Amino acid sequence: MNNTEEKYPLLKVEHLKKYFKVPAGINHAVDDVSFTIEKGETLGVVGESGCGKSTLGRTIIRLLEATDGTVLLNNEDITHIKGNKLKKAREKMQIVFQDPYSSLNPRLRVESAIMEPIKHSGRFKGKTEIKNEATRLMSLVGIDERLRESYPHELDGGRRQRVGIARALALNPDFIVCDEPVSALDVSIQAQVLNLLMDLQDSMGMSYMFITHDLSVVRHISDHILVMYLGQAVEKSPTEELFNAPLHPYTKALLSAIPSIDIHQPMKRIELKGEITSPINPKPGCRFQARCPYATEACNAPQVLEEILPNHFVQCCRVREINKLENENE
Amino acid sequence: MKKTKEKIIKDNIVHENPEVALNSFLDIRNLEVIYTQGNEIVHAVNKVSLTLDKGKTLGLVGETGAGKTTIAKSIIRILPDVSSKVKSGEIWFEGENINNLTENEMYHIRGSKIAMIFQDPMTALNPLMTIGDQIKEVVMLHSELNSIEAMNRVGDMLEMVGIPRERYVEYPHQFSGGMKQRVVIAMAIACDPELILADEPTTALDVTIQAQVLDMIKDLREKLNTSMILITHDLGVVCETCDYVAVIYAGSIMEYGSKEDIFTNPLHPYTVGLFNSLPSMAIGEKRLHSIKGLPPDPTNLPKGCPFGPRCPFKTDECQNDTEVPNIEVTPNHFVRCYKEVKK
Repeated sequence: MNNTEEKYPLLKVEHLKKYFKVPAGINHAVDDVSFTIEKGETLGVVGESGCGKSTLGRTIIRLLEATDGTVLLNNEDITHIKGNKLKKAREKMQIVFQDPYSSLNPRLRVESAIMEPIKHSGRFKGKTEIKNEATRLMSLVGIDERLRESYPHELDGGRRQRVGIARALALNPDFIVCDEPVSALDVSIQAQVLNLLMDLQDSMGMSYMFITHDLSVVRHISDHILVMYLGQAVEKSPTEELFNAPLHPYTKALLSAIPSIDIHQPMKRIELKGEITSPINPKPGCRFQARCPYATEACNAPQVLEEILPNHFVQCCRVREINKLENENE
Repeated sequence: MKKTKEKIIKDNIVHENPEVALNSFLDIRNLEVIYTQGNEIVHAVNKVSLTLDKGKTLGLVGETGAGKTTIAKSIIRILPDVSSKVKSGEIWFEGENINNLTENEMYHIRGSKIAMIFQDPMTALNPLMTIGDQIKEVVMLHSELNSIEAMNRVGDMLEMVGIPRERYVEYPHQFSGGMKQRVVIAMAIACDPELILADEPTTALDVTIQAQVLDMIKDLREKLNTSMILITHDLGVVCETCDYVAVIYAGSIMEYGSKEDIFTNPLHPYTVGLFNSLPSMAIGEKRLHSIKGLPPDPTNLPKGCPFGPRCPFKTDECQNDTEVPNIEVTPNHFVRCYKEVKK
């Protein structure tokens, strides 16, 4: 991170909601989520499949229209802007998709795929300049010169993901949503791409919103972590604090479910009963209560995200009680 | 399915050491599988030898395209007929070389003695049949039970994997991913197989559901004393469930040993690199230690050690045309590397 620059909230999301109408009712995919991301910082968003992580990312960068709430980018409300204003704002926010196999046009060669967004940005005029910029981006993300004329199907997953990253960088964005960018890749390649993303952040000072279900990846790359459960943010805290002392019962269970690779220290697992419930027409109150070992009557009331410790937010009415109890047991 | 005495004797002559193979539960010897792609030949599995004892679990670890699934599919013999070929090798299962069985004989082994759990529960089930009927199909095929007895058996199986009996009549789309994977597991264990080949059984699932399914698999294995080959790329899953681990790279086994050997004393540079690439190993460090380069093209494998071009310790010797020696460093811990020869 670039420490010399002063930090200010690059992105501010307030009470963002995204509902989908489905035959069975209304799917509360993202329900009242608020957070900020500082310049040059990475926010990791974790949660199980179907908890609304990707919807959240897509709603922020306006690939989906928000049902309610506001998104401020550089202190400008971008929730409902249109036309040229939206086009300008889009240059500042980009996305890297999960599946590098389906997010590239199979009929565009690597170079053309990277030149496309450069042309759109209008920052470079003339064929040579655009070509030079594409060459610069290719070397920046580590794609060999000789692959210039290759088609996506000729590349492996790691290289395809690099092309996706180069395309996102072409517009010189301030903010990139990385939607599971490494989950389709093998560990050895995954490490290469994660290193690349971190190097780029160091040199260009972008902010990332890093969506993933892989907790060890998120721990490595994020400054802060937002844990989502069924469309709601249940806990937000600095990364190490979350891993060392999770407060929400769901976060505790989630962290305990990671298979340990230390054979001398197998994980003590907190068993969750049942499965994730449906986000369609949810009842008011805590959405985790059906699986929560600590659920009581009080959990039926609507929950609020509270700052329990400095910079550590938790949405659970019993959080103080639970964590105090556990401290005594220890 | 009974083999004639003659045939067994004939096999024994070919086999170098028949006693071992006849006594062991599963013994794969020098398995070589190729795929043909137009004019190109893909060397998917190269001279793989493995053994597995009754009641034990072997983890096959490796990256995409390393040949893990191909090994499993050649054991149960469901490789595509047209494009693939088992070039050489023997698969001894409970004292017979099942590579020599006819298709009809194999038909009776599949599902009853050896069962496979596929990676993607969403596509492994028939969307037009109730899950109960799908499991019943397997039971009816491999047992003497009548329809009602089979239905009862299916109900028992469903309960064993934690699905209420009443859900017999439901269709796959009514189940979540984790529940579908349980159905697939129930189907695999329905006929008390002796060997289960589990191909990435939890990869499509979320961590909390993965934890439930892994615990369930462990319980079932203890109850039924089933042997299992677990294919995965997740070292955490291997650590939690396996007794032995084989690390595969470009169709060859690079390192084989007990879980303790591999996790506390990994020796092959590839195994070491794999561990170092894990984000959880790099807590407090800014950069991950990735393995440089990419896996080799299986149509054009490098000479000598397949990992040679990416290996930080490579010498001229590694690029020789000769096969890299497989060294037994400690009892039952094998490493295929010249580095170990010199020690």
